[in-house]
Amino acid sequence: MTNLVVTNLNKRFGGLHVLKDVNFEINGPELIGLIGPNGAGKTTVTNILDGAIKPNSGTVYLNGQRIDQLQPYQVARAGLGRTFQVTRSFRRMSVLDNLFVPALALNRGNSRAEIEEKAMEVLEFLTMAHLRNEYARALSGGQQKLLELGRLLMLDPEVIILDEPFAGVHPQLMKVIYSYIERVNDAGTAIILISHQMDSIFTLCRRLLVLNYGDLIADGVPDDVKRDPAVIEAYLGVEEEDTGAGKGGRAQP
Amino acid sequence: MTRSRIPQAAGLFLVLFFAIFPFVYSANDYPYIMHTLIACFYYAILASSWSMLSGYAGQFSFGHMGFTGVGAYTAALFSHYFYLSPVPTGFCTEFLIGDQYLVIVDAIGVTSSTLTQDCLRKALAVWDGSVQITPMPVWLGIALGTIMGGVFGLLIGLLVLPLRAAYLALFTLGFSEILRATISAEIAITRGQAGIELPYLFDSGITLFGRHFDKTDKLPPYFVMLFLLLTCLAIMFWLTKSKFGLFVRALREDQDAAAALGVNTTRYKILVFVITSMMAAAAGAVMAHYIRIITPNNLMILQMSLVVAMAVIGGVENVIAAAIGAILINFALELLRNSFEIGPFTLDMTIWRLVVFGVLLMVTLRFFRNGLIAPLIDHFTRGHVAAETVAQRKVAADQAGGAS
Repeated sequence: MTNLVVTNLNKRFGGLHVLKDVNFEINGPELIGLIGPNGAGKTTVTNILDGAIKPNSGTVYLNGQRIDQLQPYQVARAGLGRTFQVTRSFRRMSVLDNLFVPALALNRGNSRAEIEEKAMEVLEFLTMAHLRNEYARALSGGQQKLLELGRLLMLDPEVIILDEPFAGVHPQLMKVIYSYIERVNDAGTAIILISHQMDSIFTLCRRLLVLNYGDLIADGVPDDVKRDPAVIEAYLGVEEEDTGAGKGGRAQP
Repeated sequence: MTRSRIPQAAGLFLVLFFAIFPFVYSANDYPYIMHTLIACFYYAILASSWSMLSGYAGQFSFGHMGFTGVGAYTAALFSHYFYLSPVPTGFCTEFLIGDQYLVIVDAIGVTSSTLTQDCLRKALAVWDGSVQITPMPVWLGIALGTIMGGVFGLLIGLLVLPLRAAYLALFTLGFSEILRATISAEIAITRGQAGIELPYLFDSGITLFGRHFDKTDKLPPYFVMLFLLLTCLAIMFWLTKSKFGLFVRALREDQDAAAALGVNTTRYKILVFVITSMMAAAAGAVMAHYIRIITPNNLMILQMSLVVAMAVIGGVENVIAAAIGAILINFALELLRNSFEIGPFTLDMTIWRLVVFGVLLMVTLRFFRNGLIAPLIDHFTRGHVAAETVAQRKVAADQAGGAS
């Protein structure tokens, strides 16, 4: 069973203390929302978890293996994958080649034919099979987000961090992303979902972590978090207390 | 033949053409044309390996000529300072290896052949022809130059790991210039601007196809350089089709995203530096033995700019296109040396050819970002993709319509 343990995570950038003793644990295929206002430290947590930056103190263990001092590629091989807030597809590479990168990096599949078969399954699921030979730069912004998600399917990690997967995405494609998240989670992958779209967060997530300027101010089920006065004051806002919808909430697909 | 096979057929035709050309061409300017083609192959190795490094892997380096210098000077210094002798000289530093002495000649700079004799010449004067010394094999020098290029590539690769884009370009430019300045300054060892002479590629000549070729004949070096070019292209083509090629392209597109997907970006960044540096060094060493003198001017930034321009005009993201671009550009630059008359005006092309070259470069950069040759290859290999996408989208839409 997936076990991610984050203990006393601290990160300073010069005089700015952006993470203050952050602690949380993920057990099994949880679907967790990580929310907070801009500058709360969400992306810093993501960057530390994926090895892009090192914490000043604290530890991260994934299934008993310490990963906070590893390089990003080692973290990916240890079983943690991520998407980026701004889509980072390999633009001058074909859609299929984009999917081949993680599969070959982690030796997923015994042969190229086997990897291609899996890649085609992923593209079918993402409704992008007809685009397999196109360069990624030819895709729309939403399709590039799907492609990033597809790469994660090929990586097949135990924990996935999705950083703003719904930003700038057409409602039709949001449906695909919704079903992606549910399918991946049902298959046993833990997901940390970062989004400012509260409707999506409250619909999908069964547990929420709330960061506020480096402090983890709440960790619980969405109904409890919504009523938490500290969360309301820091992030959701007073008016949302009545409606149950978060600030910045958008129409659900 | 399918359309996508046309570039391969054209490539095969070109290889055959260059293989047959020296045997069918017999005009008076044969040595000149052969020399030009050898230079074409040399630049093709540099342009294609640079396009592998900069266009394919995204490591925009200005240090490529530096690596040719490493290869050339390693081969030159090796042939200049190391000899084998059956008896000790008594003047030089020497080590007994088997039944021969490895003689290391002392470095006396540019005065060696005039005012002062080096230790080996002193010994030869004493021996008065009674002892035959053996120069080091040329091929060993070229191999050492290639390896040394790889070592320098490894060092530079390690040093530029955290650098990207303009910082990387400036760093590698700095490396190349420091190397050139060091070689210029170390006159005692490198002979500075006077340059070091090297032996012929085949100092005793060579017999090919039942015919003996003298050491000054152009045909043996022609085939050596052509073979080196084809070997480099074959290695690079294989690499581009392999996992290595996929990963270095991902590295070019987005280093952080590639790492997040499990690619050891450090390893591939260093590897691509080592491989392309070795190719540049090998080309530099062979060319130095062909030209028979190497000076620090061979490392000048102007030479680097020429290689970059050739790769850009051919197509910087395609190693084959860059090689073809280099051959065409170098050949055209040579042909354009001939002045011609338009009515009462004489056009001095020795000057104007560089203007033509500059304009071609500017037009390419402005209107053909991926060069002039690469889009042609793409036309045949990827021309079908758009139509295929549209057809598949239609099939998918029809199926969805039928299902609803």
